[in-house]
Amino acid sequence: MTFDTRTNIMPIFGRILEIREGGGRPILAYDNMNNKELSVTDAKEKQEKLNALDAKMKQLQQRLMTEFNVWGLDSKKDKDKIKEKDKLLKEMKKTQKAIEKIKTGKLLSRDGKRNLVAYSFIAPNFIGFAVFTLVPVVCAFLLAFMSWDGNNPIQFVGLDNFKHLADDTRFIAALKNTVVYSVATVPFTLIAALGLAILLNKKIKGRAIFRAIGFFPYVASLIAVAAVWNNIFSPGAGIVNVLLTNLGVAKQNLPGWAADSQWAMFTVVSFSVWKSMGYYMVIYLAGLQGISAELYEAASLDGANAWQKFKNVTWPQLKPTTFFVIIMLTINCFKVYDQVYMLTQGGPGTSTLVLVYHIYQTAFVTSTDYGYASAISMVLFALVLFVTIIQFRGEKNYAND
Amino acid sequence: MKKGKKVISLVLSCALVVSMFTGCGSKKNNNNNTAEKTTTEATTEAKEDAADTATTETSGEKTKLRWAVWDIAATTYYQPLIDAYVAKNPNVEIEMVDLGSQDYMTALATQLAGNDTNLDVVCVKDIPGYTNLVSKNVLEPVDTTNLDLTQYGGITDQIKINDQIYALPFRSDFWVLFYNKDIFDAAGVDYPTNDMTFEQYDELARKVTKTDLGSEVYGAHYHTWRSAVQLFGILDGKNSIIGGNYDFLKSYYEMVLNEQKDGVCQDYATLKTSSLHYSGAFAQGNVAMMNMGSWFIPTLIEKIKSGEYTDIKNWGIVKYPHAEGVEPGSTLATITSLAVTSASKNKEVATDFMNFVCGAEGADVIAATGTFPAIKTDSVVSAIASMEGFPTDAESAEALKTANTYLEMPVSDKSAEIETILNDGHDYIMTETMTIDEGIAYMNEEVGKILK
Amino acid sequence: MVKTSQKSRINKVILYVVLIAITVLMLIPFIWMLSASLKYDKDVFTVPIKWIPENPKWDNYKVIWTKIPLLRFVLNTSKITLIVTALQLLTSSFAAYAFAKLEFKSKNALFLGYIATIAVPWQVYMVPQFIMMRSFGLNDTHLAIICLQAFSAFGVFMMRQFYQGIPDSLCEAARIDGMSEYKIYRKIMLPLSKPALSTLTIFTFVATWNDFLGPSIYLTTQNKKTLQIGLRMFIGQYSSEYGLIMAASVISLIPVLIVFLCLQKYFVEGVAATGIKG
Repeated sequence: MTFDTRTNIMPIFGRILEIREGGGRPILAYDNMNNKELSVTDAKEKQEKLNALDAKMKQLQQRLMTEFNVWGLDSKKDKDKIKEKDKLLKEMKKTQKAIEKIKTGKLLSRDGKRNLVAYSFIAPNFIGFAVFTLVPVVCAFLLAFMSWDGNNPIQFVGLDNFKHLADDTRFIAALKNTVVYSVATVPFTLIAALGLAILLNKKIKGRAIFRAIGFFPYVASLIAVAAVWNNIFSPGAGIVNVLLTNLGVAKQNLPGWAADSQWAMFTVVSFSVWKSMGYYMVIYLAGLQGISAELYEAASLDGANAWQKFKNVTWPQLKPTTFFVIIMLTINCFKVYDQVYMLTQGGPGTSTLVLVYHIYQTAFVTSTDYGYASAISMVLFALVLFVTIIQFRGEKNYAND
Repeated sequence: MKKGKKVISLVLSCALVVSMFTGCGSKKNNNNNTAEKTTTEATTEAKEDAADTATTETSGEKTKLRWAVWDIAATTYYQPLIDAYVAKNPNVEIEMVDLGSQDYMTALATQLAGNDTNLDVVCVKDIPGYTNLVSKNVLEPVDTTNLDLTQYGGITDQIKINDQIYALPFRSDFWVLFYNKDIFDAAGVDYPTNDMTFEQYDELARKVTKTDLGSEVYGAHYHTWRSAVQLFGILDGKNSIIGGNYDFLKSYYEMVLNEQKDGVCQDYATLKTSSLHYSGAFAQGNVAMMNMGSWFIPTLIEKIKSGEYTDIKNWGIVKYPHAEGVEPGSTLATITSLAVTSASKNKEVATDFMNFVCGAEGADVIAATGTFPAIKTDSVVSAIASMEGFPTDAESAEALKTANTYLEMPVSDKSAEIETILNDGHDYIMTETMTIDEGIAYMNEEVGKILK
Repeated sequence: MVKTSQKSRINKVILYVVLIAITVLMLIPFIWMLSASLKYDKDVFTVPIKWIPENPKWDNYKVIWTKIPLLRFVLNTSKITLIVTALQLLTSSFAAYAFAKLEFKSKNALFLGYIATIAVPWQVYMVPQFIMMRSFGLNDTHLAIICLQAFSAFGVFMMRQFYQGIPDSLCEAARIDGMSEYKIYRKIMLPLSKPALSTLTIFTFVATWNDFLGPSIYLTTQNKKTLQIGLRMFIGQYSSEYGLIMAASVISLIPVLIVFLCLQKYFVEGVAATGIKG
């Protein structure tokens, strides 16, 4: 690592300017890097700047060699020292850039050009995204510190909205339910989706039809899906309760499912898993196509069984996909609203009340306080961000492996 | 360089946000001014506006009103109302804007946000929504100087906020008891009457109930709305649903829960999870009595005529049961009203249209479609009672006459919040998650917090 | 040999039994929709379910076209969906390439910014967004819906993840050969990301096709409305015509299924199929 940096720096120790003599006195400076003639004053100025930078660079080099024994640093013990070293290296890079800029005389460094290319890729999407989504989202952020009903003048209220959260019993219930819902739904959906994808990635007859069917509950009308689920789990005459009765469960012990505060969340979670596994299956199916067949062949040659192949090839190769699925699943779970609404209306009582439902009610039904609704969504946002950053860390580690 | 760009973009977006907010703010201030003006100098402004319309009239240009409504396809009286108004005012054009039934109040609030809208007249769906809109200052106060508010039978007094009304009701439904005559005939039991106490009602329901598996007959049916049970309790006029003490609900919950236990009515949990609509439940023909709003009358007539409802051809209505010592005919009212937006550019015409729809002429047009207008004159009541398909017995016609009507939800700035608590409490009790006492304690405590 | 073939046959039987069980579970809602679409409203939600209506009301499929301007709604929705899907595919796959394969300043910050917005529920910024769009003069236009849907963070995020699965060495080799980044994107990345592009197409198509809240807020003129708003028109304040809703829902499901069946075949070609070493 350090060695690379040093070799990068090495070539800059040299003069780029030569002063040509004309009749015994310098009349012209010639910049031989850019094939350009310069006035002597310019040249001198440039040379002075360059000398200063060169000197600084040398000094930094010296420090690097003497103060930091590049080979002897322990990544655990010398954390601070490594940090300092990184800082030093950064400064060296900066100095090098400055030197390059003077030498080449170009406005944009190589980095700048690279950045421009990258930005040109992002721009078409980002401009639309920034105008139509980011700006309103920033507004919503600011609203968390305001009180606004959409019409009357906005008032700045500081942290009042957040203070109010602590004694909002419905908010606390909603927060708890949302977390419980997400913690239960994310892993089950992930496993179900992955299993379904692996199953439907096999060469079987009618694969296209099976795949389409797996996607069905996701695209079918929510009214229909909820009606079916509630019918299966109907407390009175649902298939499940009939089965339980036949298994010998006493009538008064039968769960009331969506209308039973003990079982409502279970009903909602199982419904969600069932409805959205097809969606994530599609993502996994696409991800599975990216795995090279050779990896499986190699594993077969090593005598790996199906589980070992999954563990050593499929799972690691699917990491970027899984990263995406986990984050999207988490976000979608935290943002769940209409599925719960269709199934239980948040009930019984507040047993399945979720955050977005509470946000919606605060903004449009029970009150018209967009500021407070924003504050609640900031909590949601913080939760999601927390999960995302943890995942991000995980992804980086993977990338370094 | 790049840092500069970043800063610039940040500043730009911030500026946008700020300008947006201040834009709303400043416009709002103007609006506040106009609102004040209309209340204090209503007459002068009316004159000015009248002058405005006069000029548009002479120039021959049509004034176009945009009217926010829901369910154009399913509602029969919008177009006749417009036709009747335009026939009288040929230089006015009215365009309906359908914001959908389910999320109507949300869509409306969004359309009116920032005090800039192209809607002139809006329907107001419910009382909590009305309260919200008034607190947002988006509705024009109604100038009542030339209006005869007594026609509305006291309803307008119940929607006063700070001694001012911001909307006029054009539709007013009330709750009655629907019953299936065939079931009573088969059981050899007398029909319900217009003067029943709750005890008599409960007894009657039990008499016609059959619990044979597969061919059940339910004596009563309560839709899953909290109104269907809780509001029995306010009909004596002594208790308020937003009062903060709900001990008075106990006897009614006891009655309904006992009926549920004995199979007199269908299980709340099953009804709720199956999303069975009350019309579907009643149309199955195995429900003897169901308390429901008068909006169900035109639906029943129409669906029986179209041949969809084959099992309830002989239905009737009677007045709501009442507590001991209370005048029969006390019932719940649900109103739908019309309001003019304060951002409207054609307030004069819009107000005129609102007064027309909510007035006597509009009432006749609405009644002709079988719907109950807010102004319930004798001619309106007899028009509906003589509709083809309406039960022919005298009791049913008599049931349309109401004594005291109480709004399902009274006006209060807390009504929406209280409503959610009451819904939760109802859900807890009816699913038997909580006992009646626990549920009532829950409501007392949580509503108490809101009222504090 | 005999033993293994027998074993694989047993495996196959188990596989198909599992598949059929899943199929039944997955198909129930659709069967329910079909059955409800042929019923009278009063019979839709009865307990227990009657799967086969006594006298099927085929009329429902006729009435939906005349009771509301359904054809107009279908055309509007198709227009919006096609434009949004095209824009989404183009811009997100383009942007995702930069996030996955290029190094540039504030890359991580920008990317986190993208994801962060996904986490904010729409209900919260709906009103500021509406006020902004109205000030642009976009209220009650299809353009508003297109702008809202076409530049989603979701597409960028998803494509980035798939591009990350494609080995960096491919790009490096191309760079050494002197290919520009644009050329690498077009010649190498795009052909390799067919499964991901298909996925994004399906998702964007479904999301836009089924979007309800956005159009219901922005589109107020009757002849500009979309299919999903049309479906809700059968839901009234006091009574809902579920038979008609389900008939229209069945109709609205057809294009989605066609798109899915057409695109799912790309879920077999990928890096593995093109034979490039990772």
